[in-house]
Amino acid sequence: MCKSDEVVLSIKNVSKSYGATQVLNSINLEVYKGQIIGYIGPNGAGKSTTVKMMLGLITEFEGNIEIFNHNIKTGGAAYKSRIGYVPENGEIYDSLTPLEYLSFVGGLYGMNNEEIIHKTSELMELFDLEDMLHTRISSFSKGMRQKVLIIASLIHNPDLLFLDEPLSGLDANSMMIVKEILEQLANQGKTIFYSSHIMDVVEKISNRIVLLTNGEIVADGSFEQLQQQSKEGSLEEIFNQLTGFDQHKEIANQFVSIVRSGDNNV
Amino acid sequence: MFPLLEAVITMSDFKSLKVLDKFKFAFQKANIDYPMMREILHIKLLMDARRVPTIFNEAKERSGNQFLKSLWIYALMGLILIPFLFGEHFIFQMSILFSIVMFIVMTSMISDFSSVLLDVRDKMVLNTKPIDPKTINAAKVIHITIYLVFLSVAFVGIPLIVGLFNHGVIFFLVSLLCFMFINILVLILTAIVYITILRFFDGEKLKDIINYIQILLSISMVVGYQLVARSFNIVNLDISYTFEWWHTFMPPIWYGAIYDMIMNGTVNQTYSILATLGIVVPFLALALYVKLIPSFERNLEKLLTNSGKHKKAKDWWMKLFSQLIVRKKQEKIFFDFAGRMIRNERDYKLKVYPSIAMALAFPFIFIINDLILRTMEEIREGNMYFAMYVCFMMIPAGVQMLQYSSTEKGAWIYRAAPIEDIRVSHRATLKAFFAKLFIPVYLILSLIFLLIFSERVAPFLIGLLLSATVYARICYHIFFKKSLPFSESFKVAQSKQTGEAFGMLALIVLFGVIHYVANIFSYGLIIHGLILLVVNILIWRK
Repeated sequence: MCKSDEVVLSIKNVSKSYGATQVLNSINLEVYKGQIIGYIGPNGAGKSTTVKMMLGLITEFEGNIEIFNHNIKTGGAAYKSRIGYVPENGEIYDSLTPLEYLSFVGGLYGMNNEEIIHKTSELMELFDLEDMLHTRISSFSKGMRQKVLIIASLIHNPDLLFLDEPLSGLDANSMMIVKEILEQLANQGKTIFYSSHIMDVVEKISNRIVLLTNGEIVADGSFEQLQQQSKEGSLEEIFNQLTGFDQHKEIANQFVSIVRSGDNNV
Repeated sequence: MFPLLEAVITMSDFKSLKVLDKFKFAFQKANIDYPMMREILHIKLLMDARRVPTIFNEAKERSGNQFLKSLWIYALMGLILIPFLFGEHFIFQMSILFSIVMFIVMTSMISDFSSVLLDVRDKMVLNTKPIDPKTINAAKVIHITIYLVFLSVAFVGIPLIVGLFNHGVIFFLVSLLCFMFINILVLILTAIVYITILRFFDGEKLKDIINYIQILLSISMVVGYQLVARSFNIVNLDISYTFEWWHTFMPPIWYGAIYDMIMNGTVNQTYSILATLGIVVPFLALALYVKLIPSFERNLEKLLTNSGKHKKAKDWWMKLFSQLIVRKKQEKIFFDFAGRMIRNERDYKLKVYPSIAMALAFPFIFIINDLILRTMEEIREGNMYFAMYVCFMMIPAGVQMLQYSSTEKGAWIYRAAPIEDIRVSHRATLKAFFAKLFIPVYLILSLIFLLIFSERVAPFLIGLLLSATVYARICYHIFFKKSLPFSESFKVAQSKQTGEAFGMLALIVLFGVIHYVANIFSYGLIIHGLILLVVNILIWRK
């Protein structure tokens, strides 16, 4: 694997709070070129917030973030042209057709029109969507939408990718394609920031895992390193251990008993 | 242990539902599970009271039912009904009054409640539960009815009280009944139109057709209103009514006839026919609706289906303008984007196209009205071409709606993409509005005006266009305080910025008057044009 010491992204003492609630508590992180970072944590741990900060969707925070050696608070918006993003809930202007949407996005990234049309039609064809180029996205299924968003995040050949649950809605075959794409991109020196709740996938595709809980990074290393540290077998178990969660059996028991408690009324 | 439970139990109840409780027996007679229906309604009203905050202004959350908060504007508009309550020419006055009422109820029905009528999410949530479909449908109709009642009361409340003092108790009671009939009629007619369309189309095509029908309905309401006014000889102060066959298709005249029969005691064959229609048709419509509901529910599913291949839309017009009026590359991208959003956003078209139709029609209606006083020759020589300023009314409507999108969350792209100066997006969006919607209207009107008034109005037309660009820029500035184009939800759109919208309409008059005054002096038009040109250059620079 082609990994280098070139720092692509560095987060220094970043904190963020909404009113009284502290979402991120002085986070530090350095990401190197060619890494696939599995960025995991329980709901509400601050994962999306971090990603949104790096993208400039959230602009007010303490500390500094440098991407490609540019401080994003002061360095202008140019750094964004080397970034691709797949948002978590498939948010997209869906009254447009894929070609129209991708023309817009590609254009914003400074691509010319011929290049966009050319790339779009070929990429869409690879995803089996060649018939849908001129159909409104609003009529697409979740998986088809996700494919359009994945294309939109990659069309300008970015060097840094932020993916928020990129596989959601995809069928098993498409998932394999996307996972393979990610691996090949990383091999060619792209850096990928991958957040997901599906631990099996994170375990397999990431070469570095960062676990965030309560606004703090509690683990950072390769899967093997985490295994050794925590003496657990799977990432799921490591996750449970590090987030201090060991009551899934008790809660499930209680849940089922509450569900069943109405039975004697019937 | 379960604080949630407590919160659920103390959840506030709605007054409208308490009133509804009084009619419990009627629902139970119709075999509707009343407690269940009440439960559904309760949740729906609760949801209506919570509108989503916008993505960029997270802090500024608006709470409370936005529709109810906008009622005062209906109350204000209702005041225009009052003049029709004086005098004894009921067939004339009440027909006009009822066309206005019908117009207001119908347009708000189409633009605000169609989504309730055509809600497919309901199916996922409610139809998977053990509830009788009849109950679900009743809940749907009652949900809309509650709002229609609020709207009607706000709109006709003050006029009704005026009527009570002026014409007495009988008038008041007859009015209550007639308003009820007309509400039922509008609600059911809209539903029946949707049912018919759903039978014949599916998928995206269906949504397009529904969109066009909605636009068509609101336009026809405007035209219908003119027709009612015209079916009476208004100029002659002794207003005479002569029956024409097509009056049987004009519901407002049915109700006018009812008033004339009851209040003036006029009884003749035509009046009886008209009055009977006014009472019988709502019931027939109701019966028809109940009969059609099952197929309606089945066909509603079609809204979710997805049909075959689509062709690429041609837009040589926008390409031409992109070359003519847009320079920078990033601005071109926003221009294309905005043009396509305007073309594709159905909610946008629904809210804006009716005002475009008015912009096209009203200048001529003004001229035609003038024909009563003067001959065509006199008009051609005169200043009536200033009526073209009326077409400006499409600008505030169109510009205001540029803030909204049905998928406003897609606006993350503005922040995630490397955009150096977001102001480009504003200018490009406004230019796209001009190219896509205003310029065509302007060209059509100009052509016809040149034919009517000869080429002497050419300088006027140029001055008007220069005014329009200044005016639009002002509108944009007023409406887009903090928002970005297509970045807020249409759901919050309906009740917002009504004050600004009225102010902008008033500003049209100012623009027209300035132009008119400039026209009086020699060289006035040239100075006026030059000033506008300079202002344009200044305000369009950024």
